[in-house]
Amino acid sequence: MPILNDKQKLMRQIQNCSFALTEANLYLDSHPTCPMGLEYYAKHKKEYDELMKEYAEKYGPITVGQSSTDKKWSWVTTPFPWERGES
Amino acid sequence: MWQYEKKLQYPVNIKDPNPALAKVIISQLGGPDGELGAALRYLNQRYSAPCREVQAVLSDIGTEELSHMEMIGTILYQLTRNLSMKEIKESGFDVYFVDHTTGVYPIAASGVPFTAATFQSTGDAIADLNEDLAAEQKARVTYDNILRLADDPDVRDPIKFLRAREIVHFQRFGEAQRMVQDMLDSKNFYAFNPSFDK
Repeated sequence: MPILNDKQKLMRQIQNCSFALTEANLYLDSHPTCPMGLEYYAKHKKEYDELMKEYAEKYGPITVGQSSTDKKWSWVTTPFPWERGES
Repeated sequence: MWQYEKKLQYPVNIKDPNPALAKVIISQLGGPDGELGAALRYLNQRYSAPCREVQAVLSDIGTEELSHMEMIGTILYQLTRNLSMKEIKESGFDVYFVDHTTGVYPIAASGVPFTAATFQSTGDAIADLNEDLAAEQKARVTYDNILRLADDPDVRDPIKFLRAREIVHFQRFGEAQRMVQDMLDSKNFYAFNPSFDK
């Protein structure tokens, strides 16, 4: 594994958490009343929201809604994820 | 509707360009069992799904397929960076290059452009879900074959992730299929179309 900088480490945490949400989402679609599934989703959703907020504040927006609107539209100042080192 | 997130579902960071490998991996973008076909299959089938659970499974797996299309596009983009004309000619990438330079365009490895003729939307949930189960297995086989052809760990790692997702989707579609069968006549699941015959 390559050595990751702080920004990449935070992105990995977001990807891990986001993956847990995707898995729980698909599972809950076919098991909508499973208490363990619901609890798992809620726990990771809380963590995900916190990580997304932290990332946007430190490194820029992941969604358009997080883009800055004072002086400059930060959506176009940060790289897209297909560039090496940006995912 | 959809909202774009400026991140990949799983990281793709490829050090060494390899146009010959890009030529085969492109099948998972625009080939018969690729991610674009998967996304369009599920996102079009969902309207006629007979219950909310199956509508959700098709919407959410279809959405995930779009993020897989982005990962494959990223792999192709990174495998074809900074190529010399010599590398392009010797790798056999010249036949793609002549039409697309290093732009990402959805075709099968054989050169056939992406076509909606590779999938169906029948308006019958049992028929559609059986196709979806087969589609996940066929995509898994394509990833197996890519893993047989690719040595670079930077490429193998995201491909292994994508392969594993096919298996999870197969599981979820199996549950969706069982749910639809439970809504039908248990003596004959195929007696009527649950989406059309009310």
